[in-house]
Amino acid sequence: MDFLLEGFFQALHLLFTGNDETYSAIMATLKVSSCSMGCSLIMGIPLGFCLGYFDFKRKKIVRIIVDTLMAFPTVFIGLLVYALLTNRGPLGDMGLLFTLPGIAIGQTILALPIVIGLSATAVEAMDKRLQMAIMSLGADRGQMFLSCLWECRHGILAGAVAAYGRVMTEVGISMMVGGNIKWHTRTITTAIALETNKGEFAMGVALGLVLLAIAFCVNLSISFLRRRA
Amino acid sequence: MKVETPIYEIRSLTHLYAGKPVLDINHLRISDSSIVGIVGPNGSGKSTLLRLLGLIERPSSGEIYFNGRPAKPFSNDSRLHITMLPQDPILMKRSVSGNVSFGLKLRGNRDDLEGRVNQALEMVGLDAGQAGEDFSMRPWYALSGGEVQRVALAARLAPRPKVLLLDEPTANVDAVSAQMIKEAAIKARKEWGTTLIIASHDWQWLHEICDNILHMFRGKVFGSGRENIIFGPWRKFEDGAWGKMLADNQRIRVPEPPDKASAAIIDVFSVSEDESNRGRDIICLSGTVLHLSLDKGTGHVFVTLAVGIHTFTISMTDQQIQAQGIYPGKSLRIHYSPDRIKWV
Repeated sequence: MDFLLEGFFQALHLLFTGNDETYSAIMATLKVSSCSMGCSLIMGIPLGFCLGYFDFKRKKIVRIIVDTLMAFPTVFIGLLVYALLTNRGPLGDMGLLFTLPGIAIGQTILALPIVIGLSATAVEAMDKRLQMAIMSLGADRGQMFLSCLWECRHGILAGAVAAYGRVMTEVGISMMVGGNIKWHTRTITTAIALETNKGEFAMGVALGLVLLAIAFCVNLSISFLRRRA
Repeated sequence: MKVETPIYEIRSLTHLYAGKPVLDINHLRISDSSIVGIVGPNGSGKSTLLRLLGLIERPSSGEIYFNGRPAKPFSNDSRLHITMLPQDPILMKRSVSGNVSFGLKLRGNRDDLEGRVNQALEMVGLDAGQAGEDFSMRPWYALSGGEVQRVALAARLAPRPKVLLLDEPTANVDAVSAQMIKEAAIKARKEWGTTLIIASHDWQWLHEICDNILHMFRGKVFGSGRENIIFGPWRKFEDGAWGKMLADNQRIRVPEPPDKASAAIIDVFSVSEDESNRGRDIICLSGTVLHLSLDKGTGHVFVTLAVGIHTFTISMTDQQIQAQGIYPGKSLRIHYSPDRIKWV
């Protein structure tokens, strides 16, 4: 067990001395996850709101599909995106394989059902009297939708934070679509996998600590938002 | 002669829930700046009518005209002039100030927002800076039930609406909050000429303030709201007569009803202290005077009596009241003729 303790101290050293390789992986992770979260929020919140707000034919089936996709295995998403972006694939000409945008596409597919599903749940949980209260004050259609969205903000944000946690910690998509290229597409999780295989525990533990810190922040945010909601 | 356009006009309106008719109003006019009360038992369609007048729902068929123009949910001509306080209002997840200013912001009215919010809160008896704290900054979850109701009313008053619809505004609050709500509604009418349409079981209050009272039963509007309505079920007694037995062995006698659940409109034509026989076809029932209230329309006095679990009301002049020495708690007998009973 000494190697874990030794790795822990080396990790602190790497972090506080600003080790380039460590910070490159951290930055790659933050860039790609921020990009994928931005895309999934822009698409997912309106779709989730509509799914939760409106009643339409086959709504239950749509809901079951979204809920199923929330448990989409990351390696399977990685495989699908790889197949799309490879030279033989339909989007091969775009040259996105083994790039950060390529990983971002995969992570968007991972986060989108989570954002849609949890946004829809938040909207469904909204007090049914709220719509009447807003209308009774003279809102037009647009004002009512925006006001309802604002009232569900805590639930929707909690969903977004949960999706962000999933994106930050996934390894399958980053490994398969990104290729784990040093200084380029190496993210925290792929770096941990590689360094552990090489026996470089210090780097692996350091990156693991960063992920833990991010996970802590994510959970702290969820806890705060739940209390507010 | 110029014909005044009513603030509301309803024509051939019906409304269905799950295929079942809940409202059926052929024609109804409500004058601008009037106070209209709506009375009726639970499930009679009062809240549905208010929701339709508040443009919250679209009627299944028929038209509602607001200021002479057809009005529909979200229509710009009308939605900015109407606010409605639902029976069980909720606040949005904002501060008191955020809630009260919401309607103003919807209308793009951001001038002197704080002043308008404070004025609306003062109208409902909630001082913005009460007890050394800024009440207007309190979050939605830190309010009592009565405060929620009053803040919700303040939010409806802040935009100074042309029409304020109140659905059982005092049903779930204490006496102090109820009084504040009543005063605020009257003040809105007095200061801005707001038309008030109030559904309430507070019969006495409605008779004191309303220009017109509508009675509702089974989705229909009828009468002036001053009738004595006794709801079914009715039973047939062994002697072949129809009626309802009261706990003190008195019997409300009626002619055979159209169906057992029908409601009877009973016209009480006089009260007396003695048990003198008024004729074979006149029914006398003993009761106790509950309260006296002023009929705003005629200047007469409404005498309300409890007969068993039912209440009966008769309109009398103040001379008649004085001559008979009527006061709350006094035992009297009411007289009605079964032949003059109408069924709803």
